[in-house]
Amino acid sequence: MKPLRIQLQSRTLENGLRVVVVPDSSAPIVTVGVYYKIGFRLEPRGRSGFAHLFEHMMFQGSENAPKMMHIKLINSSGGVLNGSTRYDVTNYFETVPSSALERILWLEADRMRALKVDDENLRNQRDVVKEEVRVNVMNQPYGGFPWLDLPPVAFRNWANAHNFYGDFSDLDAASLADVQSFFKTYYLPNNAVLLLLGDVQMEEGFSLARKHFEKIPAGAPPPFADPSEPEQTEERRGSVVEQFGTLPAMAIGYPAPERRTKDWCAMAILDQALHGGRAGRIYRRLVLEKQIAVDAGGGIHYPMGDVFDYNGPMQMVTRIMHKPEISAAATLEEFDAVIREIQEHGLAADELEPLKIKFRSDYYSMLEGGMMPRYGLMHLLACFTLFDGDPQLVNTILDGFLAVTREEVQAAAQKYLRREKRAIVFRQPASTGKEAA
Amino acid sequence: MAAAPLNDQCPLAPPLSAEHPVQWPRRTHARLSNGMEIVLAESRAVPKFTGQLFFRAGNAALSVRATGLADMTASVVRAGTAKRTSRQIEEDLRRIGADLSSGAGMDTTALSFDGLAEFSEPLLAMVSELAREASFPEGEFERERRHTLESVRIERTTPSFLASERLRKTLFGSHPYALVSPTEAQVRAYRLEDLSAAYQEIYSPAHALLVMVGDFQAETMLRQIEKIFGGWTGKKPAAQTFPAPPKFRGRGVSLVHVPGSVQTQILCGCPSITRKHPDWLRLALANSIYGGAFNSRLVMNIREDKGYTYSPRSGVNPLREYGYFSVSAAVRNDVVAASLTEIFYELDRMRALPVPDAELADAISYVSGVFSLGLGTQGGLLSQLGTVALNELPEDYLETYRGRVRALTASDVRSAARSYFDSASMQIVIVGDRAQIESQGALYGEITVYDAQGNVIQ
Repeated sequence: MKPLRIQLQSRTLENGLRVVVVPDSSAPIVTVGVYYKIGFRLEPRGRSGFAHLFEHMMFQGSENAPKMMHIKLINSSGGVLNGSTRYDVTNYFETVPSSALERILWLEADRMRALKVDDENLRNQRDVVKEEVRVNVMNQPYGGFPWLDLPPVAFRNWANAHNFYGDFSDLDAASLADVQSFFKTYYLPNNAVLLLLGDVQMEEGFSLARKHFEKIPAGAPPPFADPSEPEQTEERRGSVVEQFGTLPAMAIGYPAPERRTKDWCAMAILDQALHGGRAGRIYRRLVLEKQIAVDAGGGIHYPMGDVFDYNGPMQMVTRIMHKPEISAAATLEEFDAVIREIQEHGLAADELEPLKIKFRSDYYSMLEGGMMPRYGLMHLLACFTLFDGDPQLVNTILDGFLAVTREEVQAAAQKYLRREKRAIVFRQPASTGKEAA
Repeated sequence: MAAAPLNDQCPLAPPLSAEHPVQWPRRTHARLSNGMEIVLAESRAVPKFTGQLFFRAGNAALSVRATGLADMTASVVRAGTAKRTSRQIEEDLRRIGADLSSGAGMDTTALSFDGLAEFSEPLLAMVSELAREASFPEGEFERERRHTLESVRIERTTPSFLASERLRKTLFGSHPYALVSPTEAQVRAYRLEDLSAAYQEIYSPAHALLVMVGDFQAETMLRQIEKIFGGWTGKKPAAQTFPAPPKFRGRGVSLVHVPGSVQTQILCGCPSITRKHPDWLRLALANSIYGGAFNSRLVMNIREDKGYTYSPRSGVNPLREYGYFSVSAAVRNDVVAASLTEIFYELDRMRALPVPDAELADAISYVSGVFSLGLGTQGGLLSQLGTVALNELPEDYLETYRGRVRALTASDVRSAARSYFDSASMQIVIVGDRAQIESQGALYGEITVYDAQGNVIQ
């Protein structure tokens, strides 16, 4: 085994902006990311979907780069860009030829310092977001399943349980004043991290970051709502009608342990044992052997993220699409048999090592790829900076997972995969007319 | 958008600094005595490698026997060999940290894989075993058949699938490119012996291409490949000819009726060219200006100005024998006609007026810059190398690409638009609720209404 060592440095500017630089000149391209520590989990009550709508507004113009100039300047530099809203962060990122590095930093700094948008921009993007929700959720078989369906069943705290894409009435109610106040509250240098990866020298990266970002004034540390959940004492169930698809589906969520604990490492290896592709126990038993399901998959933070990129209550989710002639109850019984087996017998003697090898292999792939070159590494560095204060964790975090024992995996299965702690949501095709179990 | 130079609109934006040269990695090419072609490139960002073993025949080659037969064959290939059961295959892959998938498109079949560099030998041995010794277990076949049946049912409820299926049927007529997916009846009619016959024909080194990128030393890897694949023999499948696709005069409109749909999927298309055609780069540049980039006319117009849609895009779709140009957008039900008006307005503007210099320069920079992003990952590079080899493009295609894009002019763009943005004969597909959109669609040509199963309804 060849350990991977990523050369990186991080510093904090005077205004509290954290900066991470990862030089790698193997190709003349550079990936830049700005992550704000605000996601849909912590958006204001009565404004469901606002964090995501706001992400759209960040492309609508800033003081020195009017509407569309941000996109135009990046595309015309030979680069690509995007943004996304997650549970606990919102990110903005671009990959460009390194000749455009300073231009990109200027653009990101301009919109961190002075977003400049009007009512017309807000109306326009509200319409765009509604079409986004229609194309991804309302007009799509199994749209939003289970990422929008499970949280309202599983959680009691509004922060975790509300509609993250937003109710249309809430989107309609969002005003320009909301946009401005959200920007002032959360889009602060002291609530963000800037990441530079690729064809840039270490000192050059920090000096450009200082030049463009250091004068942006810091603000009061944002108030964060408490996302913690009350203790759960019995199984929770819910049901959603599937308008288009013909297969009944279900998603089962168990609480994940707190990040960066021994239990968390054990749970990740348990997750690999249960959900690791076609060799995973759930797919093997339900799809390959018993053939009651047509497809099955899952993971911690599935399908929106992974074991690393969240900062609050989270679930390990299994998604099962089963044959219509098999009842939901019978499907769940087979699923429960898989869980029971691992609780009672743990991993087989020769099972642990392959799980760790696959975990390591997946980790490397994640670092390298994603939506853009080095997206995965950027994303991980951002989360380790904002949630853990330590981007160097990318070089050491694997150790904890590779040290997990069979006993720890079994103990995690017994402690976390408990019926009274889980939530299940059934997605029942309207065409069959059958009620969920 | 106004065509004023960027710095007039954004005077404070820093200029671009000097470019660092783009260095494409050295490729190692080889051909084994059995005909298998090999392309290797080293890339060491992570201790992994990725590869694809292609066969130059896919669903089109088998279409006279059954639609989707090559894809079904590929699904069962990974489900058992003479030496390993399905379960062993999956566990052995996991043991070496590998992922593998098998599938077929219109023109090729591929085994795609990635894994840890330290386990390249067992992974290649697995790929070889799947390519040469698949055993087609009856039970695995029936399981995959059921899976495919359920998948094709769900496809028929997915607006983007229904749109592309209808457009392909319209554009390609009796040519096998018209058939993107099997019907349930076709899936039920697959026989195991059809799959093993297809396997015998397609999985042959005589028309195979192995592309690999990653953390390895190319010469050593080549020796390993020779050792593993050198003893394999087989012949090329017989070449086939297919009926020519139809030619179009005037627009046609197909409506796929999905009752209760809360949005309408628009997809328009017309015949264009393959990647080997001398006009390919001209078309690629024109497409990027029209609707291929975020910063394109179509996106600016119907998303950023009018808010009709989240995801408008145009694309050039090269298949081996023919290509087509397409425009798609999922829009609000009440703006279907308005969106089509803008789609055609922008097409006609591309055909009629020269692209302003500043916009042309931006687009050239975009198309040439984005091409180099393929260098950033093992998978990106693999995809570029696969495209070059499968299309038999020149050896220096990657190195000369930027220069050739930069040499293009406004008149190249306009001539490509005039040839391939066939606004007057675009074939239009709209997928949505008939009651809300039929009259809007009928404004654009004679309309035929289908149900989701593909039957014409009155």
